[in-house]
Amino acid sequence: MIDFHTHPVLIQELADKYPDYRRMAREVFQIGNNFQPLEVFLLQMDVAGIECAVLLPIDCARVRGLAVSSNEQVAELCARSPRFIGFASVDPLKEGAAQELERAAKSLGLKGLKLDPALQDFPPDHPKAFSVYEAAAALKMPLVIHTGMSWAPGTALEPGHPLKLEKAVRQFPGLNFVFAHFAWPWVWEAVAMALKYPNVYLDTSCLYYDSPREFFQFVFARQIPTTLLERSLRGKLVFGSNYPRVEIKNMVRALRSLSLTEGCLKKILLGNAKMLLGITDDH
Amino acid sequence: MIIKLERLKVRSSKSEEAIDITGRVEEVVQKSGVRNGFVNVLTAHTSSGLLVTEGIPCLEEDILTHFARVFPEDADYHHHRYLDYDGRLGFNAEAHLKSVLGGIQCIFPIENGSIVKGSRQTIYFMEYDGPLERTCFVQVLGEER
Repeated sequence: MIDFHTHPVLIQELADKYPDYRRMAREVFQIGNNFQPLEVFLLQMDVAGIECAVLLPIDCARVRGLAVSSNEQVAELCARSPRFIGFASVDPLKEGAAQELERAAKSLGLKGLKLDPALQDFPPDHPKAFSVYEAAAALKMPLVIHTGMSWAPGTALEPGHPLKLEKAVRQFPGLNFVFAHFAWPWVWEAVAMALKYPNVYLDTSCLYYDSPREFFQFVFARQIPTTLLERSLRGKLVFGSNYPRVEIKNMVRALRSLSLTEGCLKKILLGNAKMLLGITDDH
Repeated sequence: MIIKLERLKVRSSKSEEAIDITGRVEEVVQKSGVRNGFVNVLTAHTSSGLLVTEGIPCLEEDILTHFARVFPEDADYHHHRYLDYDGRLGFNAEAHLKSVLGGIQCIFPIENGSIVKGSRQTIYFMEYDGPLERTCFVQVLGEER
């Protein structure tokens, strides 16, 4: 099983090595939990039954003062464990963003792109963002992009609306977009885009109130019918936890509490992620 | 008079786990230089606990099983909401409640440099929301050897 949405922001080894890392976690990512040894991250994956996790940085240094993990830090963690799959992040409004993404792919070996228009403060339909989408498409990197509500103080809701991405989705059919957090609360708009566009995928990392199980029961059984996932979107969903904002085990359990068949769960928890990452069975 | 505080790191590898730390506490006592006094053991975390019971696997399992029966994961807890000070949701109310029920500390006398305890008493660090690296405070207080 693959977790497509984790943030390496509470790693003790990085906190000991990089002077700004603690401040990044507390002031930019704004998480209050204790820093933990890297091995605990792997144990959290173990108890959830997760084999590999996608590590997502966010280059929000221009507006927040610090990036939420750097591409280099992500690459460093990937070198420590083959169970990590590193993504890169660049600031679309910064000069040379497309070139920086290319370097991250070719020099650091990062496998995808992560953007967060709200935290990075850029409109997802900005022409400069299109240059980055173009670069990601050329590099065959999937794009995990924050959609839906962001808790981060000082961020607007509007850049998280999934329809803000429709123009880009249409212009770059060769770029696979993964809308993070199921774009909650704009769930139906996200569903419509995933149904309509072959290059739009959704991740399950949505949790805004109640427990993971209660929230999943609401969103995936009452807000939209579970049959929609089972029948029409089974090939368009990837499991994401948003760890460490929530423990991976709780999100796996919430997903499994839905009335989905094993075949559908297998695609959400593994098959679709492998396809997006270009992982073949012989790897 | 000696007053010595040690911080023990305890790493759990499961969601819920009873970890025997008796030997580590005895080691702190022996190294402290205290002849007669007390040792107090306290967990630093509100979703974990400290328990003293007979050190056998069946009891470890019974404690965890029946705590889970008293505080099921999917019960209706007010704690299941966004905690802005933590930047995340709180949805481990059952872990906190197990900690409250089972307790967070234990105290033993020290006599002639050793812990005085019943032959079957074992000190457990109780993980209710792991796996995590945790901290236990072990404070030894008493007269010098």
